[in-house]
Amino acid sequence: MTLPARTVIAALTWGSITAAATLVLVPSRGDTDQVHVVIVYLLCVLGGSVSGGRALGFTLAGLGFVLIDYFFQPPFDTLSVGKPLDWIALLAFGATAAVTTQLLTRARMEADEAGRRTEELASLAQLGAETLNAGRAEDALAAIAEIIRSTIGVAECEIYRWAGDRIAEATVLRTRETAGRLPGWPNPDLIARVAAYPTPPTALGTENDGLVMVHPDQARTTILIPLRGQRRSVGVVRISDRSRIDIDRGRRRFLGVLAYYTALAVERVELAAEAEHAEALREADRMRDILIASLSHDLRTPLTAIKAAAQEGVARGEISAAIIEEQADSLTRLVGDLLDWTRIKSGAFPLAIELNTADDLIGAVSRRFLGHAGKSIVARIDLERPALVGHFDFVQSLRILSNLVENAARYAPEGTAVDLSVRLDGTALVFSVADCGPGIPPEERRRIFEPFYRPIGAEPDASRAGLGLSIARRLAEIQGGDLEFAPRPGGGSVFRLRLPAAEVDPSFTESL
Amino acid sequence: MTLGFSGDEPLFYLGTMADPASSHPVHPGSTGPLARTILVVDDEPQIRRAVRNALAGVAERISEAATGADGLDRAAAEQPDLVVLDLGLPDIPGMTVCQEIRRWAAMPIVVLSARHSDQEKVDLLNAGADDYVTKPFSTLELAARVRAQLRRAQHQVAPAPALLPLPGGLVVDFPRRTIARDGTPIRLTPLEWDIFHALLRQAGRTLTHQQIFAEVWRRPYGSPQQYLRVHITNLRRKIEINPAEPQLIVTDPGVGYRFELPR
Repeated sequence: MTLPARTVIAALTWGSITAAATLVLVPSRGDTDQVHVVIVYLLCVLGGSVSGGRALGFTLAGLGFVLIDYFFQPPFDTLSVGKPLDWIALLAFGATAAVTTQLLTRARMEADEAGRRTEELASLAQLGAETLNAGRAEDALAAIAEIIRSTIGVAECEIYRWAGDRIAEATVLRTRETAGRLPGWPNPDLIARVAAYPTPPTALGTENDGLVMVHPDQARTTILIPLRGQRRSVGVVRISDRSRIDIDRGRRRFLGVLAYYTALAVERVELAAEAEHAEALREADRMRDILIASLSHDLRTPLTAIKAAAQEGVARGEISAAIIEEQADSLTRLVGDLLDWTRIKSGAFPLAIELNTADDLIGAVSRRFLGHAGKSIVARIDLERPALVGHFDFVQSLRILSNLVENAARYAPEGTAVDLSVRLDGTALVFSVADCGPGIPPEERRRIFEPFYRPIGAEPDASRAGLGLSIARRLAEIQGGDLEFAPRPGGGSVFRLRLPAAEVDPSFTESL
Repeated sequence: MTLGFSGDEPLFYLGTMADPASSHPVHPGSTGPLARTILVVDDEPQIRRAVRNALAGVAERISEAATGADGLDRAAAEQPDLVVLDLGLPDIPGMTVCQEIRRWAAMPIVVLSARHSDQEKVDLLNAGADDYVTKPFSTLELAARVRAQLRRAQHQVAPAPALLPLPGGLVVDFPRRTIARDGTPIRLTPLEWDIFHALLRQAGRTLTHQQIFAEVWRRPYGSPQQYLRVHITNLRRKIEINPAEPQLIVTDPGVGYRFELPR
């Protein structure tokens, strides 16, 4: 075991002073009162204890005891004691030296301890302040790492944020010897193990306190401390130094408190990041809503004026006015489709999922196509059974079915009907729209739900962006349903919209 | 306040059955059907022009305002028979104008909006608007909606007969709270009757889900409000000739339900 440098220096100094005092006093020992000699040696013992600690104090006391006996008590230069009274002097010296050494050492230790406490308190205060004041959360972590490093007096301090399965972020602070990195560090396995250590940080300083000491070789000490926040394990602090790191009970407790504060700071980093993210999302939503609202207004207002002017022209019998009105309507639909496609794609499509009945939806679809030129829509519901209910957005589901019926009616030959029906299939309501049209060739069936799809060989149609079916399918999916195509036996197409079914509370009928 | 909810006495109008088209009942506050005034509040001159032309055959006098403040002044000073109100006004939100007018007047308000949001429509109807037309609108449709609202308002004060015939051979017996088709009684649950009655009293006007709840669920009832749509469905299955193509109780998608006025 090696002694601290301070102790060695104190021992040499006070050993020399004791030797010098002996050399000075010995020539005049015949004329000197024994009391004065004792006082001089006592002073040496006191000096030694103050600067070198208890061990040096007792060593000097023993040395003084022997020196007094040997040089200053007759018979001189022997260890024998001549008079019994000299024994009393020697014992008095020994007792005084021992007691004062003991008292001084204790006082000094208490002073040291108090100094350390002050230092720790100052560190904690600073840590709290840094945590709260740092502009960015990452700066707070760097500041905390620096406080831990300087307070414990180690070369390196690293803080790893643990995201449950990986290191989310590392803050590394080093004073020197960057070349002396641990091989294979940072080690995610070890960090995961420490982060999962079951002991809460408040129990640090107890026997099983979660402080993990790693000694990869004799030249370096590494300590890993788990960081436990309010909710979960948030990371690991690693401190490391080339020399020994002294960890007594007080230090352990202090490290525990530091770790707790650090965990709070790491949690703050995460909360701040979440809040920033949420704020950014809100802002983006707001901007998009404003943009969409102003686009709608800016585009629809002139369209209204164009349409109105065209209708006046139609009333006067102008043929071109009818075309203008038709094109204005197409443009309106196109603008609506594009805006909706943008909103669905960006995930900003508001849904109102509520308890709805299949009857209501079918009724709304058939009402929308009431008196639709040429084609008939045959809507059927099973009146023998209780009404089917589901959880879906009525308006968007109506839109999907209207789109399907409109498509079907466009391609269905004159004199045929578009069939609209619904049935329950397990936990889904299945709405079917069936036509007797030409159907869809097998090679195109996969593509019809893609955005901007146009049937091969179809005439270019400026009024249709080719978004109808892709919007319809997305609308079905975001409601927890789906939309499929199937060829109709005997020719034609069937589109099936599945939406989540619901059960009516049995007490519903009793309450009627 | 809500139009027509003036008390327990059933007050409503049902088109040609309650009133032959040839008669010209007098609307209180107006000088008669020959001097009807419609106020158009819109900041866009082209839209005002379009509305003016569309309504030329509906009202004898069209008054115009380009701002919400001017619109409120004119509504108070001229007591028009109906207000056509644009939502995107430069000075005051159209919703506020609507609420302000509703504080002191009961004339129909038809709103024009470029925003196609159901929530906006619900909010407007709850705020007291009577109908809602989205831009770009067809002038014919606007004229038809305005006509319907004028008819409805004029007959608001006509007392209901005890027996009311409806299309499809239905007869409503108000004192007995029953309906019959071709002489055969139709059994309605008390709740279905309440919903039916609330819609019928305001026939021609869409009632939002919220307004129907307020009207029907005044007393605590065993059935939760979310079942309104199920009740309506069951009611339709009893009174509609073909529930897959409802003619009497019509869904206004995302907004509410309307008892359809026979045209």
